[in-house]
Amino acid sequence: MTIAPTSLTEVAPAGGPGSVAFHRTRILRLPRSPKVIAGLVIMGLFGVVAVIGRWAAPYSPNATDEKNWVQHVLVAGTGPGTPFPANYYPLPLPPSAAHWLGTTVFAQDALSQVLASTQATLFVGLLAAAIATVLSVLFGVTAGYVGGGTDEGLSLVANVFLAIPGLPLLIVLADYVPSAGSSILLVGAIIAVTTWAYSARTLRAQTLSLRNRDFVEAARVSGEGRLRIIMVEVLPNLVPIVAASFLFTTLAAIGAYVAIAFLGLAGSPTSYPPGLWNWGEMLREGFANNAVRGGWWWWWAPPGIAVALLGTGLALLNFGIDEFINPRLRSAGLSRKAARKAGISASSRLGLTPVARSVWDAPSPASKVAHASAADPVLEIRGLCVDYGVGDDAVHAVMDCDLVLRRGQVLGLAGESGSGKTTLALSAIRLLRPPGVITAGQVLFHSKPISGDGPTGTIDLLAAGQRQLREVRWSEIAVVLQSALDSLNPVITIGAQFDDLLRVHRPHLSHDERWNRAGELLEMVGMNADRLRSYAHELSGGMRQRAMIAMAIALEPQVIILDEPTTALDVVTQREILEELIGLRDRIGFATLFITHDLSLLVELADEIAVMYAGRLMERAPAASLFHAPRLPYTHGLLHCFPPLHGARVAMEGIPGSPPDLRDLPSGCAFHPRCRWAMQRCSEERPQLAQLNGSDREVACWLHAGDAVVPAELAQPDPASRRPERMDAATRVSEL
Amino acid sequence: MSAVLRRLAVYFLAAWVAITVSFLLPRVVPGNPVAGAVARASQSGNCNSQCVLAVEEQLGFDVHKSLWDQYVEYIGNLSHGNLGHSWSENAPVGSLILSYLPWTLAVLGLATTISFVAGTTIGTFVAWRRGSWIDWIMPGATFFQAIPYFFLALVLVLIFGQTGTMLRWLPSLFGYDIYTVTPGFNGPYISSVIAHAILPVATVVLASIAGFLVAMRNQVITTMDEDFVLMAAAKGLHTRTVIWYAARNALLPVVSNFTIAISLVVSGQILVEIVFNYPGIGYHLNDALGKLDYSLVQGIFVVITLIVLAANLLADVVYVLIDPRARQIA
Repeated sequence: MTIAPTSLTEVAPAGGPGSVAFHRTRILRLPRSPKVIAGLVIMGLFGVVAVIGRWAAPYSPNATDEKNWVQHVLVAGTGPGTPFPANYYPLPLPPSAAHWLGTTVFAQDALSQVLASTQATLFVGLLAAAIATVLSVLFGVTAGYVGGGTDEGLSLVANVFLAIPGLPLLIVLADYVPSAGSSILLVGAIIAVTTWAYSARTLRAQTLSLRNRDFVEAARVSGEGRLRIIMVEVLPNLVPIVAASFLFTTLAAIGAYVAIAFLGLAGSPTSYPPGLWNWGEMLREGFANNAVRGGWWWWWAPPGIAVALLGTGLALLNFGIDEFINPRLRSAGLSRKAARKAGISASSRLGLTPVARSVWDAPSPASKVAHASAADPVLEIRGLCVDYGVGDDAVHAVMDCDLVLRRGQVLGLAGESGSGKTTLALSAIRLLRPPGVITAGQVLFHSKPISGDGPTGTIDLLAAGQRQLREVRWSEIAVVLQSALDSLNPVITIGAQFDDLLRVHRPHLSHDERWNRAGELLEMVGMNADRLRSYAHELSGGMRQRAMIAMAIALEPQVIILDEPTTALDVVTQREILEELIGLRDRIGFATLFITHDLSLLVELADEIAVMYAGRLMERAPAASLFHAPRLPYTHGLLHCFPPLHGARVAMEGIPGSPPDLRDLPSGCAFHPRCRWAMQRCSEERPQLAQLNGSDREVACWLHAGDAVVPAELAQPDPASRRPERMDAATRVSEL
Repeated sequence: MSAVLRRLAVYFLAAWVAITVSFLLPRVVPGNPVAGAVARASQSGNCNSQCVLAVEEQLGFDVHKSLWDQYVEYIGNLSHGNLGHSWSENAPVGSLILSYLPWTLAVLGLATTISFVAGTTIGTFVAWRRGSWIDWIMPGATFFQAIPYFFLALVLVLIFGQTGTMLRWLPSLFGYDIYTVTPGFNGPYISSVIAHAILPVATVVLASIAGFLVAMRNQVITTMDEDFVLMAAAKGLHTRTVIWYAARNALLPVVSNFTIAISLVVSGQILVEIVFNYPGIGYHLNDALGKLDYSLVQGIFVVITLIVLAANLLADVVYVLIDPRARQIA
């Protein structure tokens, strides 16, 4: 049971920094965690004992210590003076210098028996696991790769074997096969027959998913033979799962061997033909000779503990493999010690991104943005720095970002994937997952509720506790993420999710009122109220996102953060949903932080646009100015990699190179290696975001500082109108 | 509907395979199982001449019927609920098993329920508070998971059992006090039954809880990475609701893996009953093995298989009930 089912079916590594890309061929590289090391040490110890135990044992496991043995102890209630004839029993010797673990009731040395038993126990476990693994690989890979009728048939066989309880079947098999007791090979084979099915099923599922991967497809198209594809492309990728199955089966096989030995079905060293000493046999003899009643724990406890220890070793190794297969299981990345040093709690709490202690100590950052406080801000982000991880390994994902969202306005946040847009937005409202840590800055929420009885006044979101955040969340600040399918709980209805929301934030509403309100909200975004009874998987992508938006406006929040809300949708649906959003914005008056990589989308929606690169804000300007007259080379590049939906045709240039690795940023301006106008200075000094003289825009670029010559592309005149072209439904539709 | 029918077909097939294996095996293995069995039994002094005859007939030795005719007869009897005759108890196997079954089912049902509920609850909590001191529960759980059920039973008897030597708090032999109470609907009997069930139930719970705990913890951790759990937090729902969102979804794979879990628990309980001399089918299976009462052995094996299949079916039904996506397919 240590193998989590999803870890074997979902192999996609978790996103975010620190995760490795899916390699074409995954070799098994165990994480060097204390668990794995402990597991290896335990396994190594048992391995050594298995090899040398028989010879290292101080006595023969069968030898009787005649000299010290007390064979004649009167059983209480028998003998003279009682109606029963005298009855004697032998007494085992407790642990002593001569017998470290004492002796059995036959005065045999218990330690020697434990040592001698290790070999057979381990051997049967490994043998059974090896046979079972070969069987399961053959079955699983054939079924998964060949598919069709073969798959149906083989899967059926595996499922049937899986449904039959293992131990009872084993008991019947071992009992009917008369020579089983004397042959550990036979015992191993019988155990293998009862344990292979689980791994086979897992391997089949994995092969099935591998078969549809691109690289296997490519090999098939290029005409490689089936056997070759299986050997070269499929099997190497199954190694981690085969290894996990092997360990799991070893554990199961040892358990099964000990169990049938305990039942006396695996052959005893004293019977004919003689079996081998094993831990189950020791337990059987102890139990049969009243070692529990007598309190002679030294006899039967060590073999039991040995089984458990060996099992622990195997399970610990399995943990390592599990974490390799499913990186989500790895510890959150915040080592406890490093976290404590940084003054944060390493215990991961969802929806409460930790804030480093240094944030409180630092004086609140002075406003670097002159014009920010002039207008009516609703969300002010000042000097925000966010790391993934703490200490030396920390990745700086967001650095020193200032952003002001004004009441009722749309602020666009643009940049390539990995530039830190989402990290910035989610950490500002403390929703960033571990190992994200806020290391500096201030986030102020100036609350003036549109409706409801939410809090008023300025709230410091980084200082807020769980309770305070909960008051603000959704009722004042709502979030819509990229994939609505992932954002909706798959096992409860859309209506139930509205209900959960309204029950918490509008406690005065009755159940019917909540339901009616949810229906109204769906109708506001153009859906039928009947859809409340639907589950997420029953809706189309567009409908899911509509439902999410309906949920977002349910409490008439002051701010809605939209993280690429339409990226996963087709162009037509995207358009409809954006129109819907604009309409709702005009009606309700919420402010929006709109995150996207599509600048052309923003120019129609946003009042102001900020461009992010490698964790820093690089340019900010009114939407039309930024769109028609970018000042930053990066913005220029971004604008020229999406064809504009209207206006003059321009050549698509794109940006050469790829986004930088946040762990290894270029010196100076992070963009300089990809910049066509890079100068000497750009690789040496990092430009600061600074106001361009005489305008309401800011840019972080040396081309606009000092006496550098500004290229013509970056010196277009600012368009006269400050207002962006509002999206007009009629023109948009005609253009489509 | 087809998904449910498919599962049913698998279970029917599994039942048929189990029945056929238990019938066929003693008749086709090379060598002479009867002689071997009798030799083993007479060594322990358990097999008299009556036993030898019974064993021979049971294993189809020297019976003047073709294998096929024997098989048809066997299946025919089974379909009428006739599991054969136990020579050692001199009673029909079916009624014997019916008298053992309540003991096993009570302990199994109670222990599995407690273990599943407690294991998944603790597992959820451990996943939720990951990174705190509670992570130390994991190595402990791993160790517990690896302890054989019957060994844990021996340890509990030693520490708590009246047949042990330490605390002697709880009865640890038989299903009730066979010396002082009379079975029936009376207070002393009922309280005796309850007292005698505590240690067996505790053993099965302790031995199986770690499996559910570890599986649930891993699932909850995986699920917590899903957007809908983050959204639950973003919605300002109570922490318990957020945890519920994660746990409710994490439960699905745990339930669908119940097959393996229940098989392990049933196997473990057989041995636990032996340690406690608890009068369920596990104890009597061992007893019948020792007495070479093969009709009883076969009957018990078939019934255990049916119990496990029924538990699987139950898990399937529960899964369909808690996963709307499966409901749609089914």
